[in-house]
Parts: sequence; structure tokens; C-alpha cells
Amino acid sequence: MEKPILVGAVLYNPKVSVIWDIIAEFFQANGCPIDTVFYTNYELQAEALLKGHIDIAWNSPLAWLDAQRQSGHTCRAIAMRDTDRDRVSYLITKAQGRIKTIEDLRGKTVAVGAKDSPQATLIPLGLLQRHGLQPGRDVQVRRCDLMVGKHGDHIGGELEAFQCLAAGEADASALIDLNWQTWTQDGTINPHEYTILATTEPFDHCCFTVRADFPPEREQQFLRVLFAMRYDNPKHREMMDLEGLKAWMPGRTSGYGLLHEAVERQQFFAGTQP
Amino acid sequence: MFARTHQYRVGAPVQFDAAYDAITALEYVLGAIGADVVNGFQTVARKRRVEVDHVEAVVEGELNNPLTYLGVVGESGHPGLERVVVKVYVASLATEAEIQRVWQEMLAKSPLVRTFQPAIRFELSLQVVL
Repeated sequence: MEKPILVGAVLYNPKVSVIWDIIAEFFQANGCPIDTVFYTNYELQAEALLKGHIDIAWNSPLAWLDAQRQSGHTCRAIAMRDTDRDRVSYLITKAQGRIKTIEDLRGKTVAVGAKDSPQATLIPLGLLQRHGLQPGRDVQVRRCDLMVGKHGDHIGGELEAFQCLAAGEADASALIDLNWQTWTQDGTINPHEYTILATTEPFDHCCFTVRADFPPEREQQFLRVLFAMRYDNPKHREMMDLEGLKAWMPGRTSGYGLLHEAVERQQFFAGTQP
Repeated sequence: MFARTHQYRVGAPVQFDAAYDAITALEYVLGAIGADVVNGFQTVARKRRVEVDHVEAVVEGELNNPLTYLGVVGESGHPGLERVVVKVYVASLATEAEIQRVWQEMLAKSPLVRTFQPAIRFELSLQVVL
């Protein structure tokens, strides 16, 4: 029997394991058995990947940067969802409020997600920095540190940040475009009461990451099955809907520049061993 | 599972897929608690000749940390039951005092209440509805 490929994933909710069960069954049925290993945070997963405990890691964008940093930039991003590409984050504010430009946030409070959330904290704060506003000095930051270690996978931090804005405890809040779309449609956010103040540059989100020494034939075997998923096949659609994609795409690293810039400016990894 | 002349099928210990097609062992435990309380109440009420129209229970269970069941690396705690909440609804025209006597006797005689109450957070409540 062929040795399964070990795939790591961070789990914040047991229901997410159901998606991975379905994916594992799909891989098994297509001649590429995988075993999933779940981690409570991305730091543990990155360590496991680099020590060779797992073959592939389903990484957040910050975990990708961390793996690159720790491996001397030798890891490879081999695949991602179509929905991981070209995401943006928003700073939103009250439509009838006094904040009309980013500059108006000087001396005000911005609510953000967990400290390690690329989409709800690092990149939005990077946007402020690009406009010459230093978080903590020019702008007060209200951080909603829910489930630190999950890199913002859990939407609770973004939701709490919005609730700070709604309660008048912040003048703006940060969130990813997908949550803005969902929450303005399901009634969580009244789109007539809130408006998008600023939009970040596009960035990429999660990716499957491997070490440099992952055998190419194993990688091709994994990708062949992954890319065989078709949204127009009803048997695959449930799995793809659960994972939030319409197509798997080749991995690319060009979309991590914005996060890299933010991480550098904010010295996110300062004090940690490379 | 076989019990005397009966048999029933039990699924996985725990499942997180709402579409899972079997009743899990954990769900059977919670169901057994509900059945114990409801049937126990009716049995005592009959014995004490207290007329009861209807009894039902809502049982909710909370695991200490379900992620440990999935073997998530770095999680702590255990997959055991941390808390069980049992809400019992009784429809009866009997007096409050009569119903309370039945309730207390049922609790004292319930094998599952007496098992779980000293072991975990076991919250029982009774509501009389007309």
C-alpha cells in the first residue's frame, strides 16, 4: 500500500474537519491517499512542515511568509483556491460620520482583528502606514484578539471589530472583502449605514506549501488529483462549496508582497527565531 | 448493539457532520438521559396517581474540547462531556406541590441523573406548562 501524503491544516472548529474528510475520500478514490494532521495554530504547523512531520501544509498567507522566513526562502507554494487570489481588505466607517478620507483617521481609533490576521490587521494597518499614519502613534488601534494563532481564519475578530465601530468605540474597522459581501447581504451590516473608506491593494490568501525536498513525483500526483476537481461535477461541488472555491489554481507567490511589506513595517516577526 | 431482545445501530463516538447518517454514541447518551428523566417522571407520576398530560425534555451536551477528539496537535483538555443541560416540560393540571414531589422522587431514583450529577456540570430544570 502506498504511503499517504501527510497534509497539515489548522482547525479552529471541529466542523471544518468534515471538509477534510471529504477531500481525503476524494484523494483516496483517485489513487492518491492523503492523511490529514490537524494543528491548533499555524506556528505548530510551520514547525511540523519544516521538520518533515508533514509533507504539505495548508497555509495562511502569514504562515507562508513564516515558512519562507524559517526555511531560507526554499519552500514552494504549489496550489491555491481561485478565491485566494486578488482579495482586498476594506477600512469601513459610518456613512454619515465625519471620516471621509484615511487622513481623517489621524487621532482616531481603528478597530482591527486578531494581531496575526493578515486581512483584518496586518494589511489594513499597512495601508495606514502607506498613508503616513503610524498605528499607535497617529491612530489608536483597537485590536480584537480572538483566537490568536489562527491567523484570522476565525471571523470573530473581524466581527468584533465591526461591532466596535457600530458601538461608537472606533471610527473605522477593518475586514476582508468576502466578509463585507456576506455581512451586507445577511443583515449583519446595513450597507446604507456604513461605507467603504479605503481599499487595500490586492493580495493572495492561503496556499498549499511544500518543502524544497518534497519529491516532484509526489507533488505531481497530489496536484493531478487536486486539479481534477470540477465545479460542474455535482460530486465535487459540495466539497468545493464547503472550501469556498470554484477552481483550484497553481500556487503563486506574487500576491504576498503586500503582506510581506506590512509584516516588515510592523516588525511582526521581530524577536522570533528565523 | 443488542439489549435483551432488541437491537439498534450506533454510529461513531462523535460526529461533526450534520448530514451524518447514524446516531452517534454521544447522542445516544444524551438521548438516554432525556428518556430516563421523561419516562422516570411518568412512572413516578402514575405510581403517585398524579395526572400528567405530556412530558418532554430538551437535552444539550457540551464537550470539554471536541478538537481533542480529532487529535488536533497543540490542543489541551479532553473530549468528554463537560456540561449537560436538561430542560423538562410537564403539561399537567396537578398542583405545583404534587408535581414537585414527583420531580424530586424521579431525580432520586434516576440511574443516569445519579450517575452524571456528581461527575459533571449537570443542570436540570423543570417547567410546568398548561
